Amino acid sequence: MNENNKFGLENSHGDHLSNHSSGVSADWQFNTPAVSAAPPHPSTAASLVPPLTSSPFLSAPMAEAFVPGLWNHRTMSVGGSNIQNSTSAISSIPIGRSIAMSSEGMLLSAPPVIFPPSVPHFPADLGFIERAARFSCLSGGSFMDMNLLRQSQSVAPARKASKVVMETQVQNTELSMTRDKVVSLPAAYGSIDQSQMDTQRDRRSSHISNSESQETNFSEGGQEGNIDSSDVAGNSSPSDLGANKRKRTIQDMEKDQVQRGPQSSSDATKDNTETKHKVEQNSSKHGAKNGKDNSEAAKEGYVHVRARRGQATNSHSLAERVRREKISERMKYLQELVPGCSKVTGKAVMLDEIINYVQSLQRQVEFLSMKLAAVNPQLDLSGERLLAKNLRRSHGSPLSIAGFSQEMSYPQVYPTVNPSDTYRRTMNTRLPTMSGYKEPSMQMHNNPWNEEIVMQMDYDANHPPNAQEINRKLDGFAI
Amino acid sequence: MESKSSDENCNNPNSELHPSKLMMASHFLRALFRIQHTTTDSSFAGRSRKIRRAAYASMAYSVGTKRSWSSALLRKLRSRSRLRSPNPRRAKYAALPGKPRVARPQQREMDQAQVLRELVPGGTSMDDCRLLEETTDFVRCLSTQVRLMQAVVDSVSI
Repeated sequence: MNENNKFGLENSHGDHLSNHSSGVSADWQFNTPAVSAAPPHPSTAASLVPPLTSSPFLSAPMAEAFVPGLWNHRTMSVGGSNIQNSTSAISSIPIGRSIAMSSEGMLLSAPPVIFPPSVPHFPADLGFIERAARFSCLSGGSFMDMNLLRQSQSVAPARKASKVVMETQVQNTELSMTRDKVVSLPAAYGSIDQSQMDTQRDRRSSHISNSESQETNFSEGGQEGNIDSSDVAGNSSPSDLGANKRKRTIQDMEKDQVQRGPQSSSDATKDNTETKHKVEQNSSKHGAKNGKDNSEAAKEGYVHVRARRGQATNSHSLAERVRREKISERMKYLQELVPGCSKVTGKAVMLDEIINYVQSLQRQVEFLSMKLAAVNPQLDLSGERLLAKNLRRSHGSPLSIAGFSQEMSYPQVYPTVNPSDTYRRTMNTRLPTMSGYKEPSMQMHNNPWNEEIVMQMDYDANHPPNAQEINRKLDGFAI
Repeated sequence: MESKSSDENCNNPNSELHPSKLMMASHFLRALFRIQHTTTDSSFAGRSRKIRRAAYASMAYSVGTKRSWSSALLRKLRSRSRLRSPNPRRAKYAALPGKPRVARPQQREMDQAQVLRELVPGGTSMDDCRLLEETTDFVRCLSTQVRLMQAVVDSVSI
């Protein structure tokens, strides 16, 4: 019963959390056990780690934001600040898939954590793991991984917890227990497991089928709109329907596993009704509480997408909302790129501007290429000027044009060979001083002039101080 | 090396390792030299086409295969170069980006995403989200290339 009390504490805390932070916090309570549960599954984690490395660009900061959040959560300091930090960290995660990946990566790094004997530190991370596993599965991960995670979650008994948090916590703890059977838990979890395993082991056998079904329900209904999140999670691909179909097939597979259990059918129905009820509770409860918390955390990422108050909780609409936000985010970047679009609002107008800009750039390229073709015969003599100009431009202002005099003394146009000879001489004098520069590929070996130019370019790149001398001679016209 | 483009990279968390301007400049200039030295007898139009292709090639080459638009562009260029030898006329039909095509003003309003897909290389097989990503990177590289070419032209024409 200590567990129950602790769960009660946890629940109140969870409610408190959800009150003053986004509903994601409850999820984060759930998520901490995932950290504990993750290490027992090196196989799954390993399978998920490779995607982590290739996760999109936002995954890295998210992973970093993840760790402190989760760790704060685990330490269970009652300060809502921690959880707020975690939630804020979570809210800053825009891409759910990378969250999953990063979470898995973090879970891998989580082994040294020693959970206190008190169970409540296992929030519904398993739900998170499941979602993460689902993402990995949907992204091509192995079914085995998802099964492992599912079974771990499914161990949760058919507890009629008043709060979903409790249930998930229990599920998580039991999941961690059952994981012992599946994968050897690290020693860190031994202390936690012993006390709970005895109490839960008896329930485990009877509830395995329940848990399996529950895990399906867990995945389906989830808490606080997890159903939507899980569905949305699956909707990483553009077609929501396709993702939903995939998710349903996975759930079907889960159900198949469930039915292998002795009490599958009855329990499944019972759990289905249970979870549906829970979903209603959650949506209403969190909808009410999160009315003001519908920050971007509510809809960011696959995992924590939740229906805002007054919004449809349909999985399609949620996924659509996530997709729209991603698109609007990218439109913002484009707005910064395209000049004169900062005040333009609206996707259609913005797209028009972008299209115009791209077309104008392509026209410019064509026009400039024609121009270059026209002046090409003179290119040879002024190649070093081009190079110097570009080098100076790319290096920015640091390479100041110290001495123009020599440059200015040359005629403006170089139709004759004399200036080039002088250039060559100057560059030849510099050549012996060039040492250790790296020239990746000399494509114009037949032309010593070009070689010098190229060498000078690389030399310039590698030895800025000397480049100043060179640029001093060559920068006259580069303005 | 990124001093010039660093400011536009800072405020864009979307920006990854943008190809160095110096790298693009080196690629492009080398290609320019090569064109100038090897095809001194070709027509003006042919040379301008080659230069344009060199511009896109240097742009895609400096980005590498990190971006799908660069890979698609490189693939297109390589397929074009293979097509050129057996049948030079066929090369015209493989449209490089920016090649003047039939103006379709009506289509712009009808399906902007589709127009954008045609503009950005490799964009036809992308969803909207990824399309915008690739467009961002493509626009960035394209503007860099344009500035580079403008600098070259300026330095030559002075």
